[in-house]
This record gives sequence, C-alpha cells and structure tokens, in this order.
Amino acid sequence: MSERLIGILVDSFPKILIPGLMYTIPLTAISFAIALVIAILVALVQFMNIKGLRQAARFYIWVIRGTPLLVQLYVVFYGLGQLGLLLPPFLAGIIALSVNEGAYCAETVRAALESVPKGQMEAGECVGMSYMQTMRRIILPQAMRTAFPPLSNSLISMLKDTSLVANITVAEMFMAAQRIVARTYEPLAIYIEVGVIYLLFSTLLTFLQRKGEKALNTYEFR
Amino acid sequence: MKVLEVQHVKKAFDGPDILKDVSLSVESGDVIAILGPSGSGKTTFLRCINFLEKADEGTMWFAGKTYQLPRITRRDISAIRMRTGFVFQNYNLFRNKTALQNVTEGLIVARHMDREEAEQIALEQLRRVDMIDRKDHFPSQLSGGQQQRVAIARAMATDPEIIYFDEPTSALDPELIGEVLSVMRDLASQGMTMVVVTHEMSFARNVSNRAILMEDGVIVEEAPTSEFFNNPKADRTKAFLRMLSSYNEG
Repeated sequence: MSERLIGILVDSFPKILIPGLMYTIPLTAISFAIALVIAILVALVQFMNIKGLRQAARFYIWVIRGTPLLVQLYVVFYGLGQLGLLLPPFLAGIIALSVNEGAYCAETVRAALESVPKGQMEAGECVGMSYMQTMRRIILPQAMRTAFPPLSNSLISMLKDTSLVANITVAEMFMAAQRIVARTYEPLAIYIEVGVIYLLFSTLLTFLQRKGEKALNTYEFR
Repeated sequence: MKVLEVQHVKKAFDGPDILKDVSLSVESGDVIAILGPSGSGKTTFLRCINFLEKADEGTMWFAGKTYQLPRITRRDISAIRMRTGFVFQNYNLFRNKTALQNVTEGLIVARHMDREEAEQIALEQLRRVDMIDRKDHFPSQLSGGQQQRVAIARAMATDPEIIYFDEPTSALDPELIGEVLSVMRDLASQGMTMVVVTHEMSFARNVSNRAILMEDGVIVEEAPTSEFFNNPKADRTKAFLRMLSSYNEG
C-alpha cells in the first residue's frame, strides 16, 4: 500500500467516523425507538382484534413491507416537499426509517405476543387484574423477552439501512465517504473503510445484544 | 350460609352442547368434588362459573346479587373475581415473576395494596404452602408440585370466599401429587370453601363433603360424599365407581 493511500485512509477515518457519530447513530437510535412504539401499538391492535384498527394495521404493514425503503424515503422527502411540506432531511429520514422499521417489528412483536400461553392472561384475570393490566405487566414483558433477539436483528439491519438517507441529502457516514471518493479517486479503499466502520458499529450492537440477552435471562421459559 | 348458587348453566362450542343444564349450590365451608370421565364438561363448567368461558345460558347468585351469565358485564365479572380464587391444571404461574411476586401481583395491581402489606400477606401464604424458602425462585426453577403450591398461595392471598380447583394434580408427576393434595387438605380443614374438579378418588372420598358425578354435560349424581361412594343411586355412578376400583386394583 502506498504511503499516499495510507495517508488518505488515516485522514478520512475521522471524517467518516464523526458523521457516523453525529448522524448514523442518532438516526438509528431515534428511529428505532419510535419504530418500537409503532410496533407495539400495531401489534397490540391486531392481537386484541380491535375492529377497524386491525384492518388499518394490516394495510400499513402490507404497504410498507411491499415497497422499497428508498422509495419511501423519496416520497417523504421529495414527495411531501412538492406538496409544500418541506421537511428537514434528517427529520424526513427519521420518519421514513421509523415508519418502515415499525411495520417489520410489529410482525415480530405480534408473533411474540401470540407465543405467550393463553393461561397467563387467564391467570391474571383470575387474580382480579384487568385485561390491560395483565397485558402490561405479564404478557408484554414475556413477549418482549421472546422478541428481543429478532428485534436486535432488525436494529442492526436498520443501522446499515441508514446509509440510504444519503440519497435525501443527510450528511451521514456514507455521504461523507462518497465526498472523499470524489476528491481522492480511491473508491476501493474508502468504501471498504466506511464498510469497516459500519462493521465496527454493528459489532458493538451485537455485543450489546448478547449482554441484553444475558440480563433478560434471569428467568428461562419452559 | 350460601356462598354461591348457579342455575341452568348451558354451553355449546361449535357443535354439540358441552353443558346441557347444570346447577350447583355451595354453602360456606363446603368442599365439593366434581368427578366424571374426560369430556363430561366438568372443566367447562368450572370455567363458565369463573367467566373464563361465556355460558350461553344460566344465572349466578353470589354475595347477595343475581347475575345473568350470558349478559354479565366486565365490571361485575371483575368484582366477583376479586372475591374468588382459581387454581389451574397447569398452574399458570406468571413466568416473568418470582414465587413471591406471583402472589403479590394481584394484591398490588388489582387491589392497590402497598408493597409492604402485600408482601406480608404473600409471605404468610407461602409459609402456609411450605414454599417460603423458594420465594425468590422463578416458576421455571420450581417443580410442578412446587409451582402448584405457589398457585394455591396466590389464590389464597386474595382472601377469597371460594376457590375453584381445575384438576389441580392432573399435570403432576405421581410423586408430586401428595404435596399438593396435602396443602388442599389443610385448606379444607381450615374451613375454606372449595369446588374441586378432580380425578383423585381418595381426595374426593376423604376430604370432600359432597361429591358430584358429571357426564355428557349433566349432573348424574350429587350426594354427600359417604353416600356417593357407599350407596350411589344412579347406575352410571355405580358403573363409574366400579370402573375406577377395577382400574385401581388392576
């Protein structure tokens, strides 16, 4: 490797990492938090079979899962912009990412809710708790325990999906890398470098997932 | 003193009637054993009178009020459940709670008791079922018999006027049945009002004061326990007891 290339890589490392810390990580964290709220609500609406809302939930999941995230990003940023609703790119990214991820996570949470034995709800009601009390204190915690590994998967995959928001002018890691390539004409080295930084981040998440699973393992289901 | 009276309970799932017309009256201190072959509707009956299933017809008198079972409101159901206990065949302990928390949960959440008071009651009940040294174990760390004893403590903690037991020993390994039955025997001797769906003939014979045989959704025979076992009237009861005794011998 030439000295020049090493110089470029060392030089560009912080220039990629810093947008990663400023945009990629917050985008991932905020969008995933919102996605989880959406997911739990959408899953509950289906699980509890609330008329009307259940159909709306199915429609939402159908549309979001059936269209590319990139298209959704463009609709939110450019499409709504045409209607006069000009969102800041970062905000548009958060909306598109959380609405997208919410649909996938909703299915994970719904499956986890359905995996909790029926007797748990009956037992809650028999000691005098209401449906919602039992849901909140008994069913949901068990379901979230079951959903934790697949949800961690979704989180990691979302981290990588944030690279798509470069398309709507958010100056996150991937866009930073593109700019450096345009200046240095070293696509192979720079794109591998940004890939390595994504790998770094997702490795950290995998590590946290393992820690989280261990912490949740205080009780093991039979 | 009458605690509970249900009359003309009927229930069908998709298909034939599971309960055709079942009535039951329970006095304070009664221990009623409901026997019968599987599929006779005894579990469905118990679930109907604690609203885990919705009866198609029937009335209930409880604590001075009469309710129409098919039309009973959510509010009435939870008011009644506040004063009854239910023990399941497969325990149904809350899997994300320790033994102690399983007992305190209903007290704190449903009855708005403060934690300290709830724990005091829970500890007392766990002591009663001899589970005090396992109070911080999760259900998955307990044997079936231990789980069922915690479940009984959970049902007792709410100071119920009546406890329903739905085949409380049927899911247990044979060597664990004794510890659960002995806890139930203690409760009975302390005057707890109990309705027990069971296959345990020795428990029915020795602990209950009234025995009921159900078959095909109707009550075939209902009698004081000694009369039921020693001098049954219905032919079906005689056949049922004969079948059991030959099974036990053979």
